[in-house]
Amino acid sequence: MLDFMSLLRESASTFARDIDHLIAWVAILGGFWWLIAEGVLVWLIVKFRHKEGVRAQYITGEKKEEMKWIHWPHNLILLCDVAIIIMAINVWYNVKQKLPPADDTIRVIGQQWSWRFVHSGKDGILGTPDDVETVEDLHVQVGKTYHFKLETTDVLHNFSVPVFRLKQDSIPGRVITGWFKPTMTGTFDIQCAEMCGIGHGIMMGRIHVQTPEEYDQWLSTQQKVAQSH
Amino acid sequence: MSQDEGRGERAYKLCTYCHGEQGEGRQDLASPSIAGLPEWYLKAQLTKFSEGARGLHPQDLGGMKMRPMARTLFANQNDIDAVSKYVAGLPRPQLQPTVKGRPIKGQATFQVCVSCHGENAQGNQALNAPPLAGASDWYLVTQLKNFKAGIRGGDPVKDPTGASMRPMATALSPKAMADVVSYINLLHQKQQQQPKQ
Repeated sequence: MLDFMSLLRESASTFARDIDHLIAWVAILGGFWWLIAEGVLVWLIVKFRHKEGVRAQYITGEKKEEMKWIHWPHNLILLCDVAIIIMAINVWYNVKQKLPPADDTIRVIGQQWSWRFVHSGKDGILGTPDDVETVEDLHVQVGKTYHFKLETTDVLHNFSVPVFRLKQDSIPGRVITGWFKPTMTGTFDIQCAEMCGIGHGIMMGRIHVQTPEEYDQWLSTQQKVAQSH
Repeated sequence: MSQDEGRGERAYKLCTYCHGEQGEGRQDLASPSIAGLPEWYLKAQLTKFSEGARGLHPQDLGGMKMRPMARTLFANQNDIDAVSKYVAGLPRPQLQPTVKGRPIKGQATFQVCVSCHGENAQGNQALNAPPLAGASDWYLVTQLKNFKAGIRGGDPVKDPTGASMRPMATALSPKAMADVVSYINLLHQKQQQQPKQ
């Protein structure tokens, strides 16, 4: 029931569903109270419509029986807010705070207006001569946990992989660590989700989630490039 | 103004942010002067950028900036034609030299370049050699370094014309690059000083 987000866009990472569920709960709880509020509004408009010989009253909202119309919904909405905050913190912790052990690490470098990626190569260690650098195309293996080291060479960017439900700002001068674990093979979009200049809208890339065999085949075709910095 | 010229000017609006209103270029944005370059060369480079023959090397930071821009034009091949025509029609700007080299040494080095780029560095379309005189000198040095490192023209299949430039650049030291570009600057200054026929 809560997976209606997946109808809009496939989920391809381990935490995509958690984020979808959180959005679904916000939509359900918000939608429920919106319907109640609109229903009450319509009901009051109909109930207290103009009638012959009946004068409108001025209500200050100070009497107990009047106040309950505010307090009860208010308290119930606060309860819903607390529930959303607990769910959000839980998702935030699992996605952003917790860092599961990595099977591999990649560098992601944003610049106006391209994505550059450094793969660790055959030895699985970043910063060694067998690292493979690519522009626009990131290659990863399905079912492996990846740490990414996100950087920018110029202005703010945001590394966004919609099918992973992943978004992370990159900030000049900082190396930001994050993680993802792809659950589905295929080629998906990478986009920049932070205004970064005139080419922001066309700053795109692709992530290729491959089987280990496909990944090894791709890796073997790559030229080994030295670390740029 | 014909419809085609109008489209070229409109398409060029996006380019002005880096290359300037008059195509004069901006060194701080790694954007060379492009105004007045031959239409065939502009078309060829825009096509290379949009097809990934240029701007996909991880060390080509300037090219990586240009590639997505060129791809916005790629959706409609006529856009490349129109913007190339418009930029080729812009007057060649007068640029201040920024590269400090020894023109006297550069002159000797330049004799190798003459066979393709011409005696006055005016370029030769038949050999896919662009004009060098009047170009942004810092850009010429950058590209010589890129050719030497294989950042530009490193893939003979994707960029055969660029690949033909590689062996020429490989023979040059950084000093020799500055020297030859200084000579090209001097060549251009002399041409400017000559009375128009």
